[in-house]
Amino acid sequence: MAKAVGIDLGTTNSVVAAISDGQPWVIPDENGEAILPSCVGLGADGKLLVGQEGIRQYAAAPERTVKSIKRQMGTNHKTSLGDREYLPQEISAIILRSLKQRAEKALGEEVTQAVITVPALFTDAQRQATKEAGEIAGFEVLQVINEPTAAALTYDFRNEETERVLVYDLGGGTFDVSIVEITGDVTEVLASHGNNRLGGDDFDRRLQLHLIELFYQKHQVAVPEDAAIQARLLRAAEQVKIDLSQHAFTAVREPFLVSQKKKALHLEADLSRETLETLLKPLLMETLSAIDRALADASMQAKDLDRVILVGGSTRIPLVQSLVSEHLGQAPVAGIEPDLCVALGAAIQAGVLSGESIDAILVDVIPHSLGISAVSDTVYGLRPGMFSVIIPRNSVIPISRSEAYSTTFDDQDMVEVNIYQGENAIAKENVPLGSFLIENLPLRPAGDLKIEVHFDFDHSGILAVTATEQGHGQQSSLIVENAATSRLSSQDLKQSRADIDSLFEVELDEDTGLDAEEDIEDD
Amino acid sequence: MSENHTLLGLLPGATPAEIKAAYHAKLKEFPAHKHPQEFKAVRSAYEILQKELQQTNEDFFAISPSKVKLDRQALQGLRNRVASKLEVSLAELIQLTF
Repeated sequence: MAKAVGIDLGTTNSVVAAISDGQPWVIPDENGEAILPSCVGLGADGKLLVGQEGIRQYAAAPERTVKSIKRQMGTNHKTSLGDREYLPQEISAIILRSLKQRAEKALGEEVTQAVITVPALFTDAQRQATKEAGEIAGFEVLQVINEPTAAALTYDFRNEETERVLVYDLGGGTFDVSIVEITGDVTEVLASHGNNRLGGDDFDRRLQLHLIELFYQKHQVAVPEDAAIQARLLRAAEQVKIDLSQHAFTAVREPFLVSQKKKALHLEADLSRETLETLLKPLLMETLSAIDRALADASMQAKDLDRVILVGGSTRIPLVQSLVSEHLGQAPVAGIEPDLCVALGAAIQAGVLSGESIDAILVDVIPHSLGISAVSDTVYGLRPGMFSVIIPRNSVIPISRSEAYSTTFDDQDMVEVNIYQGENAIAKENVPLGSFLIENLPLRPAGDLKIEVHFDFDHSGILAVTATEQGHGQQSSLIVENAATSRLSSQDLKQSRADIDSLFEVELDEDTGLDAEEDIEDD
Repeated sequence: MSENHTLLGLLPGATPAEIKAAYHAKLKEFPAHKHPQEFKAVRSAYEILQKELQQTNEDFFAISPSKVKLDRQALQGLRNRVASKLEVSLAELIQLTF
């Protein structure tokens, strides 16, 4: 039987893990590196560069290197690389394909199935794009699960007493907080909240702006909008962040950053942890309000929590740890691998789904409310276009729910059902998922016809909607696999899989010849 | 109410701990990815039972009409006793007044 793996497809780093003898373990590359930077580049010679190789050329050739593609997932953003344009899921597929290769090499067998993780707050379109990325890479995607939930699956302090755990997951590009109840083998998510656009990348960019400011203060010269210079600054900013997470002070030296009338200008500055904290604090305060909302959704208070777990590379920042401890009145659990536990948890779930003998039961929730646009009674009287929630956020999935609606006008012969996802009371302010019509309704006075709208949300996140006219049984239905923009046809999917395959084949052909050279470079 | 109890294999009056244990046992029997229909039924039964528990807890503190039945005989006796003390003849009343 082919193996199933768990993959943490991160904004900055990705990790693959598998199950052996009932235990999850992270699969390293040939050099023993567990982490694959989520970076894809094309060398000057057209060679595919994934991971560390991509990072290495980033400052020199940012136009041929793609970083943080996860931020574009679910959109139609096109990235040019060589002579082809790529969708976000295609770039992600290259990363996944590389991890697949790594796993197959290490396990010595074909790997065809995977569980891939996404931030809890990812929308339907973003989840769908992630699933597609897996399919393009040649995986059967068993399930797309939430990152903080996966992290909770690796929780080691299990016993028959129920424990309530808060998982604070701050990664390279996204932030999630989940409240989880753990009893023996059962892991139940009570509530999730977060921000799809907050993470280490934002901290780096904030610091980059600060470095630009420092440079201007010293030389009275603005740093030009040049991609290569900005890439150098961004890399310097990231290094400052990492240094200041371990030390109280650090120095930045970027010699010959800008040349002004034949004179080279250098960036030289000393930075303190205090400066970093002043810059980051406003961004981090938002995560604390997300904690409060998740607690409120779980009908809990901070004092009800038994433990706090920190996940994601950005939780290494001391300010994150102190803000969270202070806010919750308890120190986070030590000894959790913040970079690896998401992939390990995904491997556990992959093991469960592929029939390995692992006792783990996962009960997860839906992160966004689902509903339709309807005329609703508000404080201003009856208003059209209001969001009528059918499945409230944080409901356990899979779930089926129905709601009855009635006609608004006399002799109304059709009803349009518009489906949305979100939390805004105005339907249009939420994410549209699709719509359909029920036609040829019998002519009746307003309010006389009852229409039942049934939502069915399955465990892989696919929503099926059915509307039935109750008196006469007129029925109409829609499967919302992804009504948003990026759904690829099976033909497109096949094509992009072939294209990406060929990129890898070029790499394989050249691999043998380049091996010696690479080893020298690595040393 | 007993329908939800039956579904989870519980007797009426089960404690919160018993309800949770039964729910977890059913989760193991019917994992969501293999038995979505059964899972949904188990989950909704559990949610209803939890809601009921919560209501009982809330009711304990809520102001509610007294459920104690009055003993009619004792009440009549009390009334008679009070009345006998209040019954005053006209002669006595005149005497008391002047």
